[in-house]
Amino acid sequence: MNTPQPPRWARSVLRLLHPDNTLEEVEGDLDELYAYWYRRAGAGEALLRYLLNVVSLLPPFVRSRARQYEYEQPFALNPAMLKNYFKIAWRNIVRQKAYSALNIAGLSIGMGCSILILLWVQNELSYDRFHAQADRIFRLTCNAGDFKAAVSPAGIARGLQQQMPQIEAGVRLSKPVTSLFEAGEKKFEEKRVFFADSNFLRVFSFSLLKGNPATVLSDPGALLITQEMARKYFGSDDAVGKILRRNNGENFKVAGVLANAPSNSHLQFDFIIPMSNLARTDRDLQTDTWGNYNFYTYFRLAENTDTSPPALQKLTARMFEIYKAHGQALKVGFQLQPLTAIHLHSDLQIDLSGHGNIQYVNIFFVVAIFILIVACINFMNLATARSARRAKEVGLRKVVGAGRYQLVLQFLGESLIFSFLSLFIAIGIVFLLLPIFKMLTEKELTIQLLDARLWLTLTGIALLTGLVAGSYPALFLSGFAPVKVLKGKMRVAGANLVFRNGLVVAQFVVAIVLLVGTAVVYKQLNFIKNRNLGFDKSNLLYVPMTGEMWGKKQSLKAALAQEPLTSNFSIISDLPTALISGTTDLEWPGQVAPNQVIIPSLDVDEHFVDVFKTKILAGRSFSSGFPGDSSSYIINEKAMQVMGMSLQNAVGQSITFSEVKGNIIGVVKDFHFKSLQYEVEPLVLRLNKWGGYVIVRTPAGNNEATIQALSRLNQQLNPAFPFTYGFLDKDLDNLYRGEQQMGSIFNLFAGLAIFISCLGLYGLSAFMAEQRNKEIGVRKVLGATVTGVVALLSQDFLRLVLIAIVLASPIAWYAMHKWLQDFAYQTSIDWWVFVLAGALAASIALLTVSFQSIKAALMNPVKSLRSE
Amino acid sequence: MRRTYLGEFEELVLLMIAILDGQAYGLTVSQEIEQHTGRIVTLGAIHNTLIRLEEKGFVRSELGGATMERGGRRKRLFKVTALGAGALRDIQQLRSKLWQLMPDSGLNTNAL
Repeated sequence: MNTPQPPRWARSVLRLLHPDNTLEEVEGDLDELYAYWYRRAGAGEALLRYLLNVVSLLPPFVRSRARQYEYEQPFALNPAMLKNYFKIAWRNIVRQKAYSALNIAGLSIGMGCSILILLWVQNELSYDRFHAQADRIFRLTCNAGDFKAAVSPAGIARGLQQQMPQIEAGVRLSKPVTSLFEAGEKKFEEKRVFFADSNFLRVFSFSLLKGNPATVLSDPGALLITQEMARKYFGSDDAVGKILRRNNGENFKVAGVLANAPSNSHLQFDFIIPMSNLARTDRDLQTDTWGNYNFYTYFRLAENTDTSPPALQKLTARMFEIYKAHGQALKVGFQLQPLTAIHLHSDLQIDLSGHGNIQYVNIFFVVAIFILIVACINFMNLATARSARRAKEVGLRKVVGAGRYQLVLQFLGESLIFSFLSLFIAIGIVFLLLPIFKMLTEKELTIQLLDARLWLTLTGIALLTGLVAGSYPALFLSGFAPVKVLKGKMRVAGANLVFRNGLVVAQFVVAIVLLVGTAVVYKQLNFIKNRNLGFDKSNLLYVPMTGEMWGKKQSLKAALAQEPLTSNFSIISDLPTALISGTTDLEWPGQVAPNQVIIPSLDVDEHFVDVFKTKILAGRSFSSGFPGDSSSYIINEKAMQVMGMSLQNAVGQSITFSEVKGNIIGVVKDFHFKSLQYEVEPLVLRLNKWGGYVIVRTPAGNNEATIQALSRLNQQLNPAFPFTYGFLDKDLDNLYRGEQQMGSIFNLFAGLAIFISCLGLYGLSAFMAEQRNKEIGVRKVLGATVTGVVALLSQDFLRLVLIAIVLASPIAWYAMHKWLQDFAYQTSIDWWVFVLAGALAASIALLTVSFQSIKAALMNPVKSLRSE
Repeated sequence: MRRTYLGEFEELVLLMIAILDGQAYGLTVSQEIEQHTGRIVTLGAIHNTLIRLEEKGFVRSELGGATMERGGRRKRLFKVTALGAGALRDIQQLRSKLWQLMPDSGLNTNAL
């Protein structure tokens, strides 16, 4: 044909930009136009006209014709289709019971764990938020160098409040005072007793059930008790107005009944006594001291006070100015600790017990997410591995007109069905496990079924799990090309295999990290338990000296010495578990600057060194042969270093400690008297002049008899007070309760993570064995042994676990290294921990896989090969 | 009476389609307009108007058979629908009614 052709580039532009549903007709019209003008007016005119018209047909000038489909597209969420989706999903679940069970079990266990952990996390985060003015309440904490303490001096609360308008109210609390309470027949020793300023209830939002909130704490002869205590002492009677006798001495009237302290309050009290009562006897309160740190001080700041960190810094700087102006020499740092941060962000000494640790909250939150991910991975893995089974369905659906998004919707819907089924089972699991979990965490966790927020969260978790777990299978399955799938041979793509292997590796990385974590936590706990504390902690029984015991010390000592079971005794002021006293008031010869180090002290008797089996490095111990010892000191090595002395010259030096002058008569080898989270601090030992604890080294195996002997003694000498006792090593172990709990929780979840991973692995190996059925048959016919076949089937999985070990080790090492930084004395993270965790994971994986691989290897090849 | 707005150019195109009687497609419409009115219009303008007319329901279209002269490409052929015909008639009637109402001197421009 020799018809003239318009320029090709113009046509290309047209093809590129013109809407394609009208392209054909427009192109034809243009061609005709060109030919017409070419004939009429020649090439130039034709080209001009042609180009003009092309431009008029390009966007933005051109209007596009509404697309019309040649067949009707059904609405994707048509009820009939929905019904079909549900039917197919249900048939798939029922037809492959084993796989469905694996899937649902994995998902529900994973969700159950996460829900439990999240309950715990939520509980930890909820501490002290119930106070109406929680955001304005701060606790004043102090530090002298590295020594950070939760306590502050008695006089400082009022002193600061007077000079700082930002402080609206200040309330002081004493340290908890163990007291004996008595009402009628009932007599108990109570540990959760506090003295508090009269505005206690105005600052904190603890609810008062009975009594007048304005006056309950104004009468020094009246106290507040909690509901639980009211029931304990007065039964169902109205407690208000009743009399409680404290320490066999003073009588208190019950002025009001408080609701029990909420479990998520850092202040856990049973009795609140007005501070004005303590002021009758306490020197700190009488002198309004700015130098002795013995009280917890809480400030409520005025409304609209800027509480951003820099603003708080300014406040504390001002506090230090006031403090210095008051004539204090000690260099002290002040901090305002938000009330809501006390529970999780405290690493202070002389603090109330029972604090949590934000690190653990973070760790467990991450663990919860990881476990959920592991469960999701299971689902993804099984779904994609078994995609061949659904391939024909996908192909057919596409042929009869299903769009990809429709299929994606279908498969996502299916995984959502799985996840919601699992959610209900998970809630059942949570209910079953909650009592155990409560025991483990020692927390009051409840799950309120009527709480809308809870359901919202749970639904959120299920939705998230369903979507995450279903995303990859849905995209993968819906992407099948119908022609390939329906032609017959469906080959699992290599990329899919890589992805799936990646998922298995990820699962085992999580499991191994958790395993290593567990191992290191236990190793550290063991390390602490077995660490030489500098004294022998075994078989040390202690009895707090209450009531008249110290008054009768001569007969007490004589009686103790007489009885062979108790003859190995000592009387010390405080237990070496967590010494909470300390002063900077120390002077020594040759001192250049005032001492800035907090130095705790312990009052002991002549037998201390023998009973505790500590070592005297220089000089001698206290001895009844030296009458002057009552003003002598024994110091530990650390104190010696602080004062710049040495073993050669320390003994005989004259020092002034707490305003009392005396000579150093001995140096004792460092021993631990606080949690091992802290390094050994300097210590001064004085001769005991006021009692504290009788501590007895019981002859091995005679604990019961010794306890009875001591009980009899108490009956004789101190009949008004009940007999209580404790073992020092148990108390020491209790110092690491938080860590221990963390260890056992970690252990639990590591186990569960591995279990879930194994569920997935089991399904995967079953599927693999099934797929290679014929191959195994042929191999066996050709002479392969059972072990050979088992090895063949297992090695793929083993390789994945090995990769996981390699990946997990550095992660685990880093994480545990961080955790150990909290301890002054750390165990080492040895290579064998990783080997152990890896070997454990590998052997569990192998065991799981071997079920299926052995079954496959033992099968008679005739069965797998006969049909075809 | 249904009032459907029909622009001047739309009316022109619609008339041409009626005149072409089954042979109306982009190029013929544009050539017809050029021939009868002397206006040069681009294919783009015609194309857009045709689509708009079809959306309004005045014309319907279908793809015709392939012909040799345009590389085997099909034409989109347009026909006036009953609605389109009605609209054209309405306009025509309205005009003639208005013409009859006009006095003889109505077009006498010198009277002012």
